[in-house]
Amino acid sequence: MLATLLIAVPLVAAVVLWVAPLPRDWTAGVASLAILSDVGLWAGGLRNFDWDDQALQYSASQPWIEDVGFSYSVGFHGFQWWLTGLTVIVGAAAIGYGAWVGRERPRGYYPLMLLLVGSLVGVFASQDLLLFYIFFEAMLIPIYVLVGVWGGPNRVRATVTFVIYTMAGSLLMLASVVALGISQGTFSLAALGTSDNDLVFLGFIAAFAVKAPLLPFHGWLRAAYTEAPIEVAALLSGVVSKAAVFGLIWIVLPHFPEPVDNWREVLLFLAAATLVYGSVLAFRQPDARGVIAYSSLGQMGLILLGVFAANDLGLDGAVLQSVNHGLVSAALFLLAGMIETRTGTGVLSELGGMAKGRPVLATLVMVAGMFALAVPGSANFAGEFAILSGVFFQGWGYAAVGAVAIVLGALYALRLISAILHEARGPRVTEDSNDLVGNEVSLVVPLIAILVVLSAWPALVSQHSFPGDAPAATVVGETS
Amino acid sequence: MNVYGAWVCLLAPLAGFVLIMLAGGLITRTQAGILSTLSVFVGFAGALVSFLATVGEDAEHRSELSTAWTWLGAGGFEAGLEILVDPLSLVMMLVVTGVGGLIVLYSTGYMAGDDEERRYFAYMSLFVFSMLMLVQGGNLLLLLVGWGLVGLASYLLIGFHHDRPSAIAAAKKAFVINALGDAIMALGLFLAIAKIGSLDYGAVFEAAESGELSSTTVNLIALGLLGGAAAKSAQIPFHTWLPDAMEGPTPVSALIHAATMVTAGVYLICRTHPVFEAAPRVQHLAAILGLITLLVAGLVALVQWDIKRVIAYSTMSQIGYMFVAAGIGAYGFAMFHLVTHAFFKALLFLAAGLVIHHLNGEQDIRKMGGLRKAMPFTHAVFLIGTLALVGIPPLAGFWSKDAILAATLADDSVLGWLLLAGGLLGAFLTGVYSLRLYFRVFHGESAVAPARGHEAHGHGGEGPRSMTAPVAVLAVLSVVGGLLQVPGLWHVFEDWLHPVAEQLVEPTAGQDWLISAVAVALGVAGILLARSAYNAGREIVADGAARSLLEHKFFFDELYDVTFARPYQAIAEQARVLVEEPVVHGSLERIGPGGQFLGGLVGKLQTGLLRSYALVVTAGAVILAIVFLVLR
Repeated sequence: MLATLLIAVPLVAAVVLWVAPLPRDWTAGVASLAILSDVGLWAGGLRNFDWDDQALQYSASQPWIEDVGFSYSVGFHGFQWWLTGLTVIVGAAAIGYGAWVGRERPRGYYPLMLLLVGSLVGVFASQDLLLFYIFFEAMLIPIYVLVGVWGGPNRVRATVTFVIYTMAGSLLMLASVVALGISQGTFSLAALGTSDNDLVFLGFIAAFAVKAPLLPFHGWLRAAYTEAPIEVAALLSGVVSKAAVFGLIWIVLPHFPEPVDNWREVLLFLAAATLVYGSVLAFRQPDARGVIAYSSLGQMGLILLGVFAANDLGLDGAVLQSVNHGLVSAALFLLAGMIETRTGTGVLSELGGMAKGRPVLATLVMVAGMFALAVPGSANFAGEFAILSGVFFQGWGYAAVGAVAIVLGALYALRLISAILHEARGPRVTEDSNDLVGNEVSLVVPLIAILVVLSAWPALVSQHSFPGDAPAATVVGETS
Repeated sequence: MNVYGAWVCLLAPLAGFVLIMLAGGLITRTQAGILSTLSVFVGFAGALVSFLATVGEDAEHRSELSTAWTWLGAGGFEAGLEILVDPLSLVMMLVVTGVGGLIVLYSTGYMAGDDEERRYFAYMSLFVFSMLMLVQGGNLLLLLVGWGLVGLASYLLIGFHHDRPSAIAAAKKAFVINALGDAIMALGLFLAIAKIGSLDYGAVFEAAESGELSSTTVNLIALGLLGGAAAKSAQIPFHTWLPDAMEGPTPVSALIHAATMVTAGVYLICRTHPVFEAAPRVQHLAAILGLITLLVAGLVALVQWDIKRVIAYSTMSQIGYMFVAAGIGAYGFAMFHLVTHAFFKALLFLAAGLVIHHLNGEQDIRKMGGLRKAMPFTHAVFLIGTLALVGIPPLAGFWSKDAILAATLADDSVLGWLLLAGGLLGAFLTGVYSLRLYFRVFHGESAVAPARGHEAHGHGGEGPRSMTAPVAVLAVLSVVGGLLQVPGLWHVFEDWLHPVAEQLVEPTAGQDWLISAVAVALGVAGILLARSAYNAGREIVADGAARSLLEHKFFFDELYDVTFARPYQAIAEQARVLVEEPVVHGSLERIGPGGQFLGGLVGKLQTGLLRSYALVVTAGAVILAIVFLVLR
């Protein structure tokens, strides 16, 4: 039941905002109420979640089109629960940010944000392949419009690129969904058996490689993260990218054991290349958004290294890192947005010296930056460590590349921190560029606070992601 | 009692950090300083309680592991959030919180009036907490956590004056080199997880000692640990960050050099000695790195003009001695020198801080001189610290350094003789550069006027009580601290560590006194050379190629700049310009017509016409699905 509620609350609120003749000023309030109720529902569910139970939690199942074996089937295993929590919490911060800056055309904006969040929860709760696909597509449409309408000066170009990439991926995935479902007579993820069809496998891979993104399918990333309204960029990099992680863990690994094995080296290579490439490019980006965008690319490469390691260590680490990265990248994007509103620019050479006299901003940027570079002791470090020790079983070279990326991560994160906070005051930083105010702090601090809690106890996520064995945890790399 | 005391010791500085950060403007700067000092001294009290409780146990029961909860668990791998209380960690806890507390107390006077005092004291507490995490962490993963947090705290404090580009550059350099060390160490740990399945000290040591691991595995794990150790302890080739780290406020330098951070590598080797003993070649490599470092640092120190940099190079050199000791298995002596060095090095830095404070921030020794009369107290304590560093009896450094040299003699191998010769040469160099510094600062004519206004503070120009009191305590410790071990009479310190780290070499009292005589003679010769050079008004290393080589610090910075820094920046820039931009833009140009079509489509999407999109997707997908099914 709870799963349905978590999906329905934002979607219903979106519809209400669209059709009900509410006063314009109410929209932000209603949207905030809806997303906060979702957070509340999730937090309530967290208390009663039975981590040792192998069965789905809070599930609901209703046959829909029985002829093809399609049913509305939702519920959670541990890792899905964490990704859902990430969605509603980052969603709340993003909607709160939109309300704080006062986005124009609120009657269009808030329903779309809610639609995005609701679809994402749907993606993470899906236990049916077709349902997953529906939510996956439903999540893309609000993104297109949010970027296309509320985005920056080059938004149309960014949207077009994004649409082309994702549509190509979606098309291939739909074909794979249909092919897999029809050939087996069901779309239920629990009932579906395994397949050794390379083409069907690659169809899924294509969609998820674009979504994550994985090198070389990342061509949409820079423009989308630069042009999107910043809170949408936060959702894109923080949460939407995790739909790919979910798909790979819950659809590809369990149902395509043979193709995964055959393609493992290629996939691991691409993930490692993504990690290094993203980290290197993040080092030379001229603006804050660029640094965060490419660091996100690198981090997705890291997470996918853990996924493709396909052992307990790597997968547990990948889930933990998905949550960590989602939180920190959202926090960084929102902070970048707050800096942009103060200075009118995100270009690093025009910023600097903001630490003097702005202790709150300085502290939050510093702390978020330290999480981003996975300082040892942080939850991000724990995730990174688990992933790399997991992938070590697939070849020490991948772990070595990952270790190099630790240093590259330090390089770009320190550059970002210093360029914003330190040295001489930049030309666009004036006396009017004030410190963060209470409302802004209340958007970012919860994200950071959760990361602090996870830093004290990363095992909360990593040990409570998969009851028993992780899906398709192959014999390779069993640690006992 | 011992674990409770240890938890208090660990958590008190953390609480200090959190409270100061959260309180923000609610507390005054002075209160922040008091809070930070208290937090560290409460930690010291905890360590003391823990120590006394442990002393009560008999030697075999002095090790206790206390687990709070599972920190990281993934797959079958688990590492607890746990602390290990044993003789080795207790020594470190006492030094870190004891000397650390004195340094923080000194800071309350030194930093008074700084705009961002609160931030400074929060970071100081964080630094002490990080170091305690490192030494108390009950498994290798937590050790690595402490390892990284120390790097973080040093970054924050070295770059404390963040409007100074040189400070920020130094801070970044320290962090990046330390991150490199962390990464190398992490690789060693990944291998340990893969081969042993655990990072618990017990499991790893057992595996190393049982010989079940291949020699390649053990060597690689030991190399990983050594890489981390060398980076944190500023040993060659990872040493370039340390002199630059002098950009931080002077008490920070004292903290980095005496109580925390640079000693971590020595602790690591002593802690994980079963791994190194299973990989003797790597252990010897540690000794050789130490030897090279102690000589290089001793030589470079001869030509430095900055009072803090001279002391910084002396730290590198002294840590080199500790690596030499640890590398030949004289763990007790390595730790002994670590302790006495903490006393006299903290003393030297804090006394230098008094000088710098007195001269309103001047650090160039060419502009100093004649301070003996103006600052009699500082002069006396600085001299004590200097002579302790040189190893003049009966000061602390004499007992500990000579023990190490005697151990190299007792090792009785080619390596041992090499280390002995190098170590003795180092002792001579120490005498020369230390006294050069001393004479330049305190003798001769006064070169600059002391800062105005100090008299007004009413502390006679040497600093407030909060600064002089810790210095006095450290001076006393530098005098008597060496008496923990007197060759031929007693060896309390060594016995204390014996259950954790049994020494592999044990010099006889005769060897010890023989070496002492030679080393002291060399140290005195160094002093005399420095004195005659000073009296003659010339530098010890005359201008020329040799001096140029030393002034460029053997060109390590230039080498790394050319081989790593510049190429990486160039590669990153080229990747952006030559690869990323064409790929991203090109992909759009090529699909130009399609792009326009889709652009139109997006326009329609905005007006709500989703149907055409859905139609295209569905039709295409159905065709593809059929293709997939047929083709296979």
